[in-house]
This record gives sequence, C-alpha cells and structure tokens, in this order.
Amino acid sequence: MMKSIFMLAAGAATFVTVAVTEAQTTQPTAPETDIPVLQEQAVAAGIEHSYRGPWEYFVGGGAASFDCNGDRFPDLMLAGGTGETQLFVNRSSEADGLRFEPGKLDVSKSDLQNVTGLYPVDIDNDGHRDVVLLRVGRNVILKGGPDCSFKSANREFAFDGGRAWTTAFAATFEKDTPFPTLAFGNYVDRSAPGSPWGTCHDNVFLRPAKGDRPNYAEAEQLTPGYCALSMIFTDWNRSGTPSLRITNDRHYYRDGEEQMWRVDPGKAPRLYRRADGWKRVNIWGMGIAEGDIDADGYPEYALTSMGDTKLQTLDAEAEEGRPVYRDIAFERKATAHRPYTGSDLKPSTGWHSEFADFNNDGLLDLFIAKGNVEKMPDFADFDPDNLLLGQHDGTFFEAGHISGIDLDRRGRGAVIADFDLDGNLDLIVVNREAPVSVFRNRGGKTDWGTRPMGNWLQIELQQDGANTNAVGATILVKSGNETRLRKIQSGGGHASGHSGFIHVGTGVAERAQIRVKWPDGEWSPAFRVFANNFVIIRRGESDARYWYP
Amino acid sequence: MLYRTLIAAVLLCAGTAATTATAQESAAPKPWSESAVGSHVDQNELRGTLSKTQLHTLMKQGEALFTAKFTTVDGVGRPMATQAIIPTKRKRPLQQSFQRLPGTDSNACSSCHNDPIVGGAGDFVANVFVSEGFTNADFDTSDPQFSNERNTNHVMGAGLVELLAREMTADLQNQRRNALRSARSSGTPVKVRLNTKGVDFGEITAGPDGIVDLSAIDGVDTDLVIRPFSQKGVIGSLRQFTVNALNHHHGMQAAERFGARWTGEDDFDEDGVANELSAGDVSALVAWQATRKPPVQRTPESQDWRQLARKGSSVFAEIGCGSCHRQSLPLNSLTFADPGPFDAAGTLRRAEGQYDAVYDLALTDWAKTLPRDENGAILVPLFGDLKRHKIADQQISALGNELLGQRFVDRDVFMTSELWGIASTAPYGHRGDLTTLDEVIRVHGGNARQSRDQYVALGKNDRTALIAFLKTLVIEP
Repeated sequence: MMKSIFMLAAGAATFVTVAVTEAQTTQPTAPETDIPVLQEQAVAAGIEHSYRGPWEYFVGGGAASFDCNGDRFPDLMLAGGTGETQLFVNRSSEADGLRFEPGKLDVSKSDLQNVTGLYPVDIDNDGHRDVVLLRVGRNVILKGGPDCSFKSANREFAFDGGRAWTTAFAATFEKDTPFPTLAFGNYVDRSAPGSPWGTCHDNVFLRPAKGDRPNYAEAEQLTPGYCALSMIFTDWNRSGTPSLRITNDRHYYRDGEEQMWRVDPGKAPRLYRRADGWKRVNIWGMGIAEGDIDADGYPEYALTSMGDTKLQTLDAEAEEGRPVYRDIAFERKATAHRPYTGSDLKPSTGWHSEFADFNNDGLLDLFIAKGNVEKMPDFADFDPDNLLLGQHDGTFFEAGHISGIDLDRRGRGAVIADFDLDGNLDLIVVNREAPVSVFRNRGGKTDWGTRPMGNWLQIELQQDGANTNAVGATILVKSGNETRLRKIQSGGGHASGHSGFIHVGTGVAERAQIRVKWPDGEWSPAFRVFANNFVIIRRGESDARYWYP
Repeated sequence: MLYRTLIAAVLLCAGTAATTATAQESAAPKPWSESAVGSHVDQNELRGTLSKTQLHTLMKQGEALFTAKFTTVDGVGRPMATQAIIPTKRKRPLQQSFQRLPGTDSNACSSCHNDPIVGGAGDFVANVFVSEGFTNADFDTSDPQFSNERNTNHVMGAGLVELLAREMTADLQNQRRNALRSARSSGTPVKVRLNTKGVDFGEITAGPDGIVDLSAIDGVDTDLVIRPFSQKGVIGSLRQFTVNALNHHHGMQAAERFGARWTGEDDFDEDGVANELSAGDVSALVAWQATRKPPVQRTPESQDWRQLARKGSSVFAEIGCGSCHRQSLPLNSLTFADPGPFDAAGTLRRAEGQYDAVYDLALTDWAKTLPRDENGAILVPLFGDLKRHKIADQQISALGNELLGQRFVDRDVFMTSELWGIASTAPYGHRGDLTTLDEVIRVHGGNARQSRDQYVALGKNDRTALIAFLKTLVIEP
C-alpha cells in the first residue's frame, strides 16, 4: 500500500516534471529584483537546537516567535521532539546582528518534551502571549507572564489537552467572545486497530465557555479527521466570519481530502461539501500559507505536499460565494516540485510554507521548508528549502540557491520575522535531526556585497479588552495605486507561528496610508505614515505612533 | 627579459589608449544625432570625493542634461506611465505625448528653470500642474480639484539648502534618539522641544517603552526628515526631486526608480527606450544643481536705494518677517555626499552602488564668498527656515487657494519660501499669479498674519523701504 502511494506521488510529480521540462532546460536568468542574502548564523547567534525523535517526530518541528519580555524584539521558542523545548531570548540589534540567550522555562520538564509544534496567542488577554504546545500526548498551554515567565495553564483554563498526536493548531476570536476559539489538528491514532493506515484522529474544536476566565472544558470533535498537518482560520469569502481550513496528509487517510469547516458563531462547525462547491483535493498536505497576492481581499493559499505545491486562488468563474479553488502554481512558476539545485531530481517534500516579503519590493514571496520525511527513497534526499521571490508579472522566481538557504538539511517548521529589527525579514528553520538554521537577512545580493533593499513598514495593532493583539484584523497598506494586504492570524505554516510586528515591504513608496479592519469588522480611519518605521496603531486613536528599537 | 616585458607593456598601453580613444569617439553623439543625452554617465566612475577637475566634468555633464531638449531617441514621453512618483501604469496610452497639464509638459529642465539664468525660476507660462498621478492622472482641465498649479522655483544655491536640511534632520533625529534613551533609562516619559539651527519644530514625548508621541510636532514630517524642496516642502533631496521631475515633466525615466529592479521592466513607460537615464546621469544633474551659485544680496549703486534697503532690512526684522524668512542658517559642512543620507528606496541611497561620491562644494568659486560665523559655520543667506507653516486664514486666504493636499501636507500649508534671489524671480506666490512683492506680502495669512498686518499698517515709506530691501536679493548672472 505504501509502495503504491509512493508510485502515485512519483507519478504526480513526473507529470509535473514532464510538463515543465521544456521550460526548465536552462536555469532561468535571475531577475534584476533584489535577491536577499540570507546568511546562516545559528552558532554565532547563540542558538543550538535540534528537533529529534522517532516516527512520531517525522512530522512537526515547530517554532514560535513572539515578544515575551516587552522589548518588542521577537523571542523564540523551539520544539525539540523527544528533546526539550527551548526558549531563546532575543538580544539582537541592528548593529550587532542576531544574538539570543537561552531562557529558563520554569515548567514541568515532561510538558516540554514530546512537543511537535508551538503557536503563540494571548488567550487570557493579559497582554502576555501564551504559547500552545502541540505534543505527542497531552497538549499544554503555557501562560505567559512578565519577563518571559511561563506556567502551565491547563488547569487554570480548564484545558484537557487530550492524548492524541497533535500536529496542527489555529485560533480565532469569534464574534463577541472574549477568549479565542482553539482548534487542534491531530494526526494518526496509533491505538486504533490497523494503525497507522486509515486511522486518523478526529480534530478538536474548543470554544471558550461563558465567563470571565478562559474555560475550555467543553470540546467538540471535528469528524472526520484526515491526519491534519496544518490548519488556519481564514476569511476566504470576506464574510467577516472565518472558516477553518485544514490540510491533510493523504499518506495515512482513507477516502479523505482537504477540508474546510464553516464556523458560524454559536453553531457547530460544518464541513463544506460538494454541494457547496468544495472540490476534492488529495495531497500530502503538510503546511498552509495564506497570502493575498493581488490584495483583492480573497486570499490565496499555498499548500505544501510531497511533489508539487498547490497555489490556490478562488476561481473567478465559479458562482459567487462558493469555495471553488483553482490551482495556479504552474502558471505562477510556484510548483516547487523538485529540488531546484543539485542533481537529485526526485520529488520534493514540502513542510512549512509562508508568504512574506523578503526583499521589501512590495511583492509577496513564498518560503517553503523542504526535507525528506526520513529516508524515503522515492523522494529527494537533498531537498533544499525554497525562496520563491514574487515577480511583477505575478510569477515567482526560485532564489533559494542564490540567497544561501539551500542547505542540506531536512527542514520542517519555520518562522519568518525581523529578529534584529533592521527592516529585513530574517528566517529561522527547524530541521529534523539537524541544527536549527538561523538566517540573517543581509540585504540584496550584488557583485560587491549587499545593498539596501526596498522600503518597509512594520505594524503593531493594539486594542483594549479582549483580543488585545487583534487576531483576525486586516491591514491595508496603500501607496499610490498599490495596496498590500496582511492579516493577523494564529495558525497555519507547519507547526509554527509568530505574533508581533506585521511586516510589509513597500518597494519604492516612501509613505503609505494604513487602514485597519478590526476583528469585529469596524474600519479605522486612514493613518498616514512614512516608510521604514515601526508603527503602533492603537484602536480609537486618530494618529499612529512610531516605535524605535 | 625585463626589456621585452617593458616593450610589451608599452605596446599594450598604447593599444589600450587607442582603443579607449576609439570607444570614446564612437560613444560621442554624432553631429547629426537626434539624441540629446548622448552617452550616459557611468555611476561607477564617481568614487569618493571628486577632485575639482572631476567635479567640473560632472557639472558640465549635468549642465548638458539640464539644458538638453530630450527627444524620443532618448526616451522622452511616457505613453504608458503616469507622472506619479511611484511607477504607475496608465490604463491606456495617451494620444499626445506632450500635454501642458499632467505632462509631459516640457522639453528640457531649462525650459522652465531659466529666469534670469539657467537654473533660475520661471514665469507664469512655466507653471506646472502637480497631482499625485494615481487617480485622474490624465486630467485635461486646470480645475484645482485635479491638480495644484505651481510656479517654477529656482535651484540656485540648492546644494546649500540640501546640506542645511540634512544637518537639521540629523539634529532632530538625534534629539529624538536622546529623548528615547533618557526615557528608557529613567522609566518615565521625556518631553523634548525640537530645535535645530534656531528653528523650532514643536515637541515630542518619548515613552519608556520606545513609543514616541508625535502629535505636537510642528512644520516637519513625522519621521523628522526636513524635506526642503518644492513649494510644499515635501521633497527630501535634489536627487529625489530630479528623478521625480524627469518622469513628470519629460517622461525620462531614471533606472534607479523605474528600472527593472523595481518594476520588472527596463522600459516601464513603454516608449521603446530602455533605461532612459542612468544613475550617473542623475548624479550629474544633482552635481550641477548642487553647485549652483547661491543668490546674493547686492549692494545698490544708487545711494538712495542703499539707504532705503538698509532701512527696509530693519523693517523686515521689526515686523517679524525674519521669524520665518530667517536671514541665514548656519551650515557646518560643505561636503555634499551623493547619494545623501536620508533618501528612501527608489532614489539611489548610500551603499546601494559599489561606490558613493562626494561633491565638495568648497571647490566651487563661490564657496569662499560665503560669510561665516564666529564658530566657522557658513551662514547660508537663504532667508528661510526650511519649515512648513500655515499661510492662509479666514480673512486672508489667497494662498490657501489649492484644493488638494500634497503628500500628507494640508492644502494651506507651505514651506517658507526662501527669499534669496526673489528680486530676480517674479512672479510670486506658489501659483505665480502675484506680480509684485507688495501683493504677495499682503496675502500672507495664517502663521504669517501678524507680520502681514504690521506691514499693511506701516507707512508708505516703510513699506517702500522693505520692498527696496527685497529688491537687493538677486540671482547674479
């Protein structure tokens, strides 16, 4: 059975390969757009960490970045698999580069082990990000406190944590709800008869009970589960009510597919079905990236898999309001189906995916962490991560080998954030059974070194009361006729998430107007800002403020 | 052996020299060429502080470009691009490449900047129509809801103006930095009065959390960058202005903003000419503008005029004109780095090319004529403060005649006009529709209202004296 699955995968990949062979007989010429130099500096930065473990840890390998000590520099928590989860406190600066110090996690050692992934989200609205640890076994919520202190909050939040093998997470604040709704994606039910084939665990949906404290005592099962490896709450139809999109691993499910749950406030989630327009897609779904490439308010999704990556956009020819998606990965040159460098032509294995603007040219780029599951012979062994740079014609250009991220490591989770707050996004990749890669973005590559890239903004939203970090908000950044759109989300990627400044490259625009659609749907006035600044927008205030590192 | 090597080297050098000469010959425009640009200036040749000879050569190249009547061979016109400072496509090509309203509206920089000499101002016929160029980019009316009509400024002494602005920006940003440091170390908010070269720019409050309250700043942008150019004071550098204007007025697109690096195309305006102007070309234009001799205060030959002007100078100070039109601002250095320190992407920045250049304005003939204060600072006699002010109010509203704000600056707020050279640059007002100095003084409202009222209340002799004084501020040929 497993063999036939491999053959299917290889077949799918071969189809894509044949289709693109002609176009790829020569290496494409690098465009004149800036290609960021991403310099690996893990040791110098003080981060020594690996994600390890047997079969259960072939997946996972997450990272979470968020500010845990109030200095607005993103700190870092890394899943260790059978090793320990580690905290690294950010001591970076633009002048000195990336520097981290190990932080102390004063929680039970057992809680920090068997962790596959982590996501930061302020659950109890106390201004400190909490961290949800996804585990092989009982999941744990670490309640964040001052100065990077954490404590287990499972009891305080009446959170069971379950016993499943959890590999995906997403959170959203539903309408008029003071605390977030949490969704946990589970993988193989190892105790079920016939495991692992066709024995995917159900996923879990947790709405907070009414009250003034987070209470997740009542769990709903999202049945069927198809071995989720990533999930995200997404407002795919601009309705203001996000749905829960889940990517599933066809390696283990039977008769499964990709899923999207309609989540109406106060009602039980229900799956989108064929009658709704939802089409069956079967992939080895590993990670979801959401990005609105054309800023039309309807997001695109990059779904990683074994073989080609899917890049889905809402089908313009479909009936309005129906979740019918079209794969545009091939036409946009974003299939990333096999290694782009080296001699290994077997299909790739993609994991974390995320849209971000690495070169500040105003166009979204797509990062994909890559790496063989373990030693799958039908898939590429040397499988470097992708840096697909967005181009003005809507396509993507593979620049991983030029930027320097094409290391021989098995990538899994990742975070993209500006760790030294110099305006350029840096990249941290968690690798399986290998050191974490810490890439500092040094600027655009030139013959003589690097040069400054485009303009940028980094935006922080604040609101009082519930949902202080405005999860679910939409940020529009307008310069001239160009609009860039970002969402504040908790979930997606592969077992990894970040919370903090939202980065927007603005290209050659030296100023911009920002408008915010707050999570409850209210629009802000336009805030006028100059590029290359950290902008704080506080709900209810008429002017944005600048923050300086 | 050595001898043979030497012969080989000599032959090689001779050969190289001959090749270079041939290359230069072929690069030079033929007499019958219809290209006004000819060969492009190589930015990589501009390294470090240019010698007097190098600077002179670059200035000559800049002058040639400033006066060049660009042609379609050079890439004039922008059939598929608007006048916007952010590369913006038109929806459809224009039928006429030249159009006096949204542009392209002139053949050469000097078509407008020519009064009384090249680099000078322009009269009413040389007005331009400023719009952001995003929506309604193709307006065909002078109705002010579509554009702001502006008179052409002169660029004499522009290098000194930019250097002053750079030093002022550095001062303001240092004051912000110090306030933040102090707030962080003390754990309490720190309020700081922003002041540079004696000009007050309001105040900021730095919080211990690193957030700065900018709601009380005055006359400067929130990033505390002094943008000294344009009547509105929204352009930060000669380089930025040059790249903007080349596209707006000529459809000549500089590669450093409209090239493939930022737009994905080397012929963004789709006129069939790629990379119309190189970074070196822009540098030449910047160098030429930056080295323009500043206007001067002439000493009239007539004794009557001398006496009146002296009295007028006193009146000017007494009624408070000098509080904005400051007689001079002190400048510490004549070192003009190009690219400058405060430009954003889209205008060439420091470290963006392999080499940066420096134009030492002290190498110019006019530099030694500038007065200095007791600390050795150059006193730049610009009669301005490089600050924006509200210039209209309910009663005196003529200068609030625009309907469109510009780049975050309200419609009735303008940068203080530098008065140096004003006697040579009539007409007056940002629209150039005021023919006399008396008229333009009388329409000062808003923050200038008090001084204006005092002027109106003066006796005729004092008003005449003030005008006589202003008439001594000239651009010399």
